[in-house]
Amino acid sequence: MTGQQWVSAADSSAALPASTDVLVVGGGIAGTAMAYYLAREGVEVTLVDRGELNREASGTNAGSFHLQLAIHQLSGQGSGADRERLLAEARLSLAAFSVWQGLDAELDGSLDVHLTGGWMVAETPQQVRTLWDKHELEQLAGIETEVVTGAELRRRAPYLAENITAATYCPVEGHANPLIVAPLYALRAAQHGAVIRTHAAVLGIDLHGDSGAKRFTVHTDAGSIDAHRVVDCAGAWSGELAAMVGIRLPVRSEGLHVNVTEPRPHLLTPMLQHIGRRLTLKQTEQHTFLIGGGWPTPAAPAPHRYPTSWHSAAGNTAVAVSVLPALADVRVVRTWSGVIVFTDDFSPVVGESRLVPGFHACVSSTGFTFSPIFARQLAEQMLAPRAASPFPDRYSLDRASVATTK
Amino acid sequence: MTGGGVRQPDLLVVGGGPAGISAARAAAGAGLRVLLVDERPTLGGQIFKQPGPGFTVTDPAAMDKQFRQGRALIESLDGIGVEVRLRTAVVAVEGRHAVLVTEGSPAETVTAARLLLAPGAHDRPVALPGWTLPGVITAGGLQTLAKTQRVLPGERIVFAGAGPVALAFPAQLAHYGAHIVTALEAGPAPGVADVVRIARAAPGNTALLRDAARYRALLLRHRVPLRYGRIVVRVEGAGKVERVVHAAVDADWRVITGTERTVAADVLCLGYGFVPSLELTRLVGCELDYDEDLGGHVVRRDEWQRTSVDGVYAAGDGTGVEGSFVAIDEGRLAGLAAALDAGVISIGEADRTAAPARQRLARRRALSAATNRLYRVGPGVHELSTADTVICRCEVVRQRDLLPAIESTADINVVKAYTRAGMGPCQGKNCQRQVCALIARRHGRPVADIPLATPRMPVRPVPIGALADHTINSPTLFLPEDDSAGPTAGPTVEVSG
Repeated sequence: MTGQQWVSAADSSAALPASTDVLVVGGGIAGTAMAYYLAREGVEVTLVDRGELNREASGTNAGSFHLQLAIHQLSGQGSGADRERLLAEARLSLAAFSVWQGLDAELDGSLDVHLTGGWMVAETPQQVRTLWDKHELEQLAGIETEVVTGAELRRRAPYLAENITAATYCPVEGHANPLIVAPLYALRAAQHGAVIRTHAAVLGIDLHGDSGAKRFTVHTDAGSIDAHRVVDCAGAWSGELAAMVGIRLPVRSEGLHVNVTEPRPHLLTPMLQHIGRRLTLKQTEQHTFLIGGGWPTPAAPAPHRYPTSWHSAAGNTAVAVSVLPALADVRVVRTWSGVIVFTDDFSPVVGESRLVPGFHACVSSTGFTFSPIFARQLAEQMLAPRAASPFPDRYSLDRASVATTK
Repeated sequence: MTGGGVRQPDLLVVGGGPAGISAARAAAGAGLRVLLVDERPTLGGQIFKQPGPGFTVTDPAAMDKQFRQGRALIESLDGIGVEVRLRTAVVAVEGRHAVLVTEGSPAETVTAARLLLAPGAHDRPVALPGWTLPGVITAGGLQTLAKTQRVLPGERIVFAGAGPVALAFPAQLAHYGAHIVTALEAGPAPGVADVVRIARAAPGNTALLRDAARYRALLLRHRVPLRYGRIVVRVEGAGKVERVVHAAVDADWRVITGTERTVAADVLCLGYGFVPSLELTRLVGCELDYDEDLGGHVVRRDEWQRTSVDGVYAAGDGTGVEGSFVAIDEGRLAGLAAALDAGVISIGEADRTAAPARQRLARRRALSAATNRLYRVGPGVHELSTADTVICRCEVVRQRDLLPAIESTADINVVKAYTRAGMGPCQGKNCQRQVCALIARRHGRPVADIPLATPRMPVRPVPIGALADHTINSPTLFLPEDDSAGPTAGPTVEVSG
C-alpha cells in the first residue's frame, strides 16, 4: 500500500508501562481488534506480542470468507442438536462477514474487501449428492447458494474441467487482504491511545486474587506489567498462555501449506473449493493464483516457521489443476506455511473465565472471518458487563478445565 | 518418480560449474556414485559457459581461453562414471530427499546419502535511478549473451563495476567486438604499495596475474578508457538507455558532489561483483556469516567444506565469491570430504589427495588479501537509489513505498508483507539486499545484522503440470485421528489455504 503508515518501530519498541487496565496478549487480528475496540471507547489497553504483529495465522492465511459449508461439517451429521448448532454457526458467519464489509469505513483504510462469489465443485455422484444436502442446509441457514450443472455450469464457469459435474455457487463469499488488516487495527488502536509493544514475550503470570485493580502481574522478556484484566489472543499459543493462570484450553494447532503462482491474465473471479478434496483456490488482485485448502506441513517449534512440504505442494496442486486445467503451465513461485489453531469440539474460545475472573480469551480457528465480530462483542461485554454472557456455554474458557477436574 | 538413472546416489552434486565438476570428479574418483545436475543445457557454469544448443564450435583455437579451460574441465568427467543431468533444477530439499525438475518432465525425487551444493553466484544487484530501463544489463547477462548466443545488445556500451570483473569483462567483451565507450571502476587505481603487496603474493598465482596483464593489454589494444574511483549514479533516457551519469566516489564508494559527468550510450553493463546464490543452502538450513567482499551472506563451512548441516557440503562461488580457481579446489575438498565421511577413503588418503588443493587455496587467498584494498565493496553502492527508484522490479515497489514499512519494523518479512517487495517471480534475488540495506540504514544497524526473508521452496518456479502428483490423496484435516467425529461447527475459512 503506497503511503500507508503503520505503528512506528520507535513506539512499538518503547518500554512497557508499569500497569494497564487491559493487557491483550497476541498481535494478530484478534488481539489488534480487541485493542482497537477497547481503546476506541477509552479503555486503557496495552497489547504485547512476542514478535512482530500479524506474523502467524492472521497474516499467513489466504484472507478468504467461505460461507458455504465444508465437507468436514457435513460428514455424519449426527443429532438434531448438532444440526441446530451448524445452522447457528452459519448464521453467525453471515453476521461476521457483514462486520467485515463495514471495516474499510470503520478503520479508514483499504483492506481490499471484495465480494467475488465462490464455487464449490463436485466430481462423483456421491459428491453431487452431498452438494445437494449442503445446499438444503444452507437454505435453512439463510446462506444463499444455488446448484448449477450441465450446460449451465459450462456457460457460467467455462474454466472448470470436464469432470466437474456440478457445483454450488454462493454470491456472498469474498476475501480481504490478510497482510494489512491486523496492522491497520493496531495503528487505529494506537491512535486511540492503546500501547502496542512488539518483541515482548510473556514468560509467566502472577495472580493476585479477584479483587482490586491489580489482579495480574504479567512478566515478559521486555519487563513486567500489572493488569486488571488479561485477554488471551495468542491463537495457536493461547493454550500455553492460559496454562500460566491454571486454565486448560482445549486447543491444538497444525501447520498448513499454501502455494502461490506467478501472475497470469485474469481468468477467475470467484473463489473455488472442492466438496470432496482439499482445495481452496483464487486468483488475487495481483493476478497470482493462491492454492491451499488444508494441506499439512511438518511442525516446528517457535520461533521457527513451519517448513512447507513438497508432498503437500504436489497433492494440493494436483487437485487444483484437475479442477482448473488452465493451471498446467502456470508456475508456482513460492510456498508458505501458516499455523491454524483449532479445538477438539470445533467451538471457539471466547469470553471471560469463571475460574480465573479477569482472564479473557478471543480464539477461533476461523479467526480471520470471526475475530472482528468476536472482538467487538467481547469488548462490548468488557465495557458494560451483563450478567448473562453473550456467548454460548460451548465457547467457555473453562470447559476443558472443568471436564478434567470432574 | 519416473525416469531412469541413479535414484539413490551416494552424492548429489547441484551445479555443474567449476566447483561442482571438480567435486563430482573427486568424489567419483574416490569411489562414490555421483549424480551431477545443472539447470543449464551445458556444463561449465557461468565462467566456463559453453555456446548454446544449435551452435557448433568449428575452431576451438579461435575461442577465448575460458572456453578452452572449461571444455577441458568438462571433458575430465568423461569415463569416470558420473551421471550428469542437464536442464535439471533442484527445486526443493527435505532431509535426504531432493526434488529434481527437468525441463518438460514431471518432478522426481532423488534420495541421496549426501548433498553437495555448488550453485554459483549471480550479479550483485545495484538499485540506482534508471536501472530498470531497457539497455541496462548485468555483466553476467551480457557475458551469457556473448558466450552462448554470440550477440551484443547495443552499439555504445558503458561498463561500470568493480573488482577483477571490471578488468576482465570489458576486455572479454572487446574481444567479442563490443564497443566499450568507457569502463568505470569504483575502486582506487593500484598504487605502488598495492603492486608490492601483489608481487609478494605472486608465487603460485602467476596464471591469475598473467590473465590480469592480458586483460589490461586487451583494454589498451581496443582503446577502452578505464577510469578508477568512479561509480555510475543514474541512467537517463526515454524508454531506453540514452545517457549514463557517473561520478567520483570516496573510499566508501560515496559520491563526491560536483564530479558528475554524462556520457551518451545505449547499453549500461553493471558488474559490481557477484553474490552467492543461497536459495538451496538457506533452504536446507546452513548457517551463514557475512562478508561484503565475498558477496555479503556467505556459507559457514569447515576445512573440508562441510556446512553446519550434517551431510551437506558446499563449494565455490555459491559459498562466498572467490572465483573459479578457488571453486575448483574447494570442489575437490568437498568431493573428498563426502568420500571420507562415507567411509570409502581414509583420512590419510583424503589428506594426501587434498594437500595440493589446500596449498593452492592458501596462495589464492594470500593474493586476495593483497588486492583487498583495490576490490573492497563500499557501502555507497547501496545508497544510490532515490525515492522514485523501483527497488522490487517484479512487483514495481519504489523506495518511497518501502519507507513507511521500514519505519515500522526492522524485519524484512514484515516489510515484504506490507509492500509485496520480494513476492514476485525472482523471489527477492534482485531487491532483497537493497531492502536490507535500507532497513539497516534507517535502524542504525549493520546490514550484516538484518536477516534475510524466510527461505521457501521451490527455489525455482515450477510449472504446476510438473509439480502436481495425482497419486496423492487429500488429507482429512481438522478431524480427530480416528475420523469418527460428528459434525463440526462453523463454515470454514481456511487459515492457510
